[in-house]
Amino acid sequence: MSGSTIIFYLLAAASVVFALLSVTTRQLFRAAIYLLFTLICIAGIYFWLQYEFIAAVQIVVYVGGIVVLIIFSIFLTQQAGEKLAKQKTDRQLLAALAVFAGFIITVLQISRQTFFQTDKTPVPPTMENIGQQMLSVKEGGYALPFEVISILLLAALVGCIVIALKEKKTSTQSIKKEN
Amino acid sequence: MKFITKYIKEVWLAIKSLFVGMRRTGYYFTHHKEIITQEYPDNKDSLILPKRFKGEVVMPHNENNEHRCTGCQACEIACPNGSLKVVTEFNLLENGRKKKAIDKLVYHLELCTMCNLCVEACPSDAIIMDQTFEHSVFDRNELIKVLNKPGSKIMDGVE
Amino acid sequence: MWSFSNIADSIHNGLSQTFNPTVTVILEMVIAGLAVIGLFAMLGLVLVIMERKVSAWMQIRLGPNRVGPKGMLQSFADTLKLLVKEGLTPNGADKFLFNLAPFIAMIVAMLLMAPIAFAKDFQLWDLNIGVLYVSAISSIMVISILMAGWASNNKYSLMGAMRSGAQIVSYELSAGLSILSIVILTGSLKVSTIIQSQADGWWIFKGHIPAIIAFIIFIIAVTAETNRAPFDLAEAESELTAGFHTEYSGMKFALFFLAEYVNVFIVCAIGTILFLGGWMPFHIGHWEGFNHVMDYIPSSIWFFGKTFFLIFIIMWFRWTFPRLRIDQLLNLEWKYLLPISMINVLVITAMAILKWHF
Repeated sequence: MSGSTIIFYLLAAASVVFALLSVTTRQLFRAAIYLLFTLICIAGIYFWLQYEFIAAVQIVVYVGGIVVLIIFSIFLTQQAGEKLAKQKTDRQLLAALAVFAGFIITVLQISRQTFFQTDKTPVPPTMENIGQQMLSVKEGGYALPFEVISILLLAALVGCIVIALKEKKTSTQSIKKEN
Repeated sequence: MKFITKYIKEVWLAIKSLFVGMRRTGYYFTHHKEIITQEYPDNKDSLILPKRFKGEVVMPHNENNEHRCTGCQACEIACPNGSLKVVTEFNLLENGRKKKAIDKLVYHLELCTMCNLCVEACPSDAIIMDQTFEHSVFDRNELIKVLNKPGSKIMDGVE
Repeated sequence: MWSFSNIADSIHNGLSQTFNPTVTVILEMVIAGLAVIGLFAMLGLVLVIMERKVSAWMQIRLGPNRVGPKGMLQSFADTLKLLVKEGLTPNGADKFLFNLAPFIAMIVAMLLMAPIAFAKDFQLWDLNIGVLYVSAISSIMVISILMAGWASNNKYSLMGAMRSGAQIVSYELSAGLSILSIVILTGSLKVSTIIQSQADGWWIFKGHIPAIIAFIIFIIAVTAETNRAPFDLAEAESELTAGFHTEYSGMKFALFFLAEYVNVFIVCAIGTILFLGGWMPFHIGHWEGFNHVMDYIPSSIWFFGKTFFLIFIIMWFRWTFPRLRIDQLLNLEWKYLLPISMINVLVITAMAILKWHF
């Protein structure tokens, strides 16, 4: 077993352990922190695979964005340090069954999948290649999905602004009516 | 368009005002002669206090052990927190009349706030503010001082 | 000639002659880790005394002047005090997270050291995505602050953590955009390529006014990201006692304190690499003699000189400007810095396409 494999198994085991802790802990904030560690371990696996760009994006999006958002919502809703109530036994059983079913499905899928080797030369995942591929309109390019996602994000941004916008006109009208 | 010019003007003014502040601190950073810190116990001999520094109330006496206090109690009335206490006595003059004079002018340094009101109130300029400031003692009672020296009397010509 | 890269090479050669490759790699990792920790300790000592002296002189004071010659050993005395102080954990705190938070702050600061080029050919990890790596890892920093604020179980800490979170998340945008403008000019995220592209002039000179605007925005944004005055709402000693580290004492407090200063160093180093040419010496056009004299100064001195100049500017900000209110802070970011830097990125992109820069 080489050092590289040991590192992989360490990272994989850590991500599984933190994932388990994240769903079993009864403190909401700790669950978020364990989730964070899981995500960092996955980023570590990307680094191990030498997909540095994906690893960095994993950290930026999930750690810097989503986990911070989760923590903020916990701050705004939860009482500090309060433990969640224990669930009923039948609910626990149901949840365990659901998790087990998901696990079985995943394992079955992986065991049924036949992995075949390609004779294509691998493209090095450098920034330049990723950028070129992202905006290429040739076969295998991602220009269309990229643009579709951009429009989706733009729509989300506009929606946010519309929701957050103060309704100036109606308020002035109501004031006028009162006068 | 008006909005954009206003926006640019705002940004420009903000940067300008920040630079004004930074120029001031930069000036102080490079000009160490402006430093006002006194390294006190080290420069005890050369320490020069500002002219208006107020340390404690004293009563100056001349070489004949005479002071200018008439015992009018104006300082006692002026004092906001009762630091000064005038103990008066009545001296019998030759013509049979009694004259008011001070026995003791008791000064409570531990109560004094150095507000200078007593000095301003004194009609005969008998008390002034001194610049001594090392007042620490081991017993609180030592802070209660008698301002007139023992055996002193009022200067001639002061009414 | 004596240089950091020569020392590193000789260590590598010496080790690989005596040990087999695996042991050599492990030993080199240990040496690099120890070197980073040593640099941290040095930075902590130097930056604390520098901050205190700069603040004193800017406020017409003398500053520390008792311990050692001219008070230069004051930070040693402070460190000693913090080392022997008791590290308290409050009763109501979430003890695991409370004790974990300072270490996360420290580990993040250590990870950020990896892609920084301290001298010519002297870098821990010249990875393909250097600049993106820095902005990714530095976003973990906010987690340690949020964790510390929550785990302390103290309202001041929680408020400080919330403010700090809002602040860092929003200022990351304009810092990222100003970093992006240099990446556009260089066409690479790799630190060594970015530095190499400035061999004929630093980007702040080559990039005309847009590069200067990007530099100013970068400095403002990183001042906010490192939670220093005028953006020190997270600590705000006059309102929140000490913000997220109110409950910390002893060594755990020292780790937060050290992480703050190391972060200041790191962001200034990134600013140096992006805008001031990293370890590249200062050259003026075709003045051969002048350029030769500049080349003679070692590259590490160039790097540390520029970095400490930026640190001095950030300290200058701290001791000149009053603290912003939270609404002013968010106004500054969302109404001024972000629109300006977005337009600036567009201008720089146009400039890079039309090759208007030198």
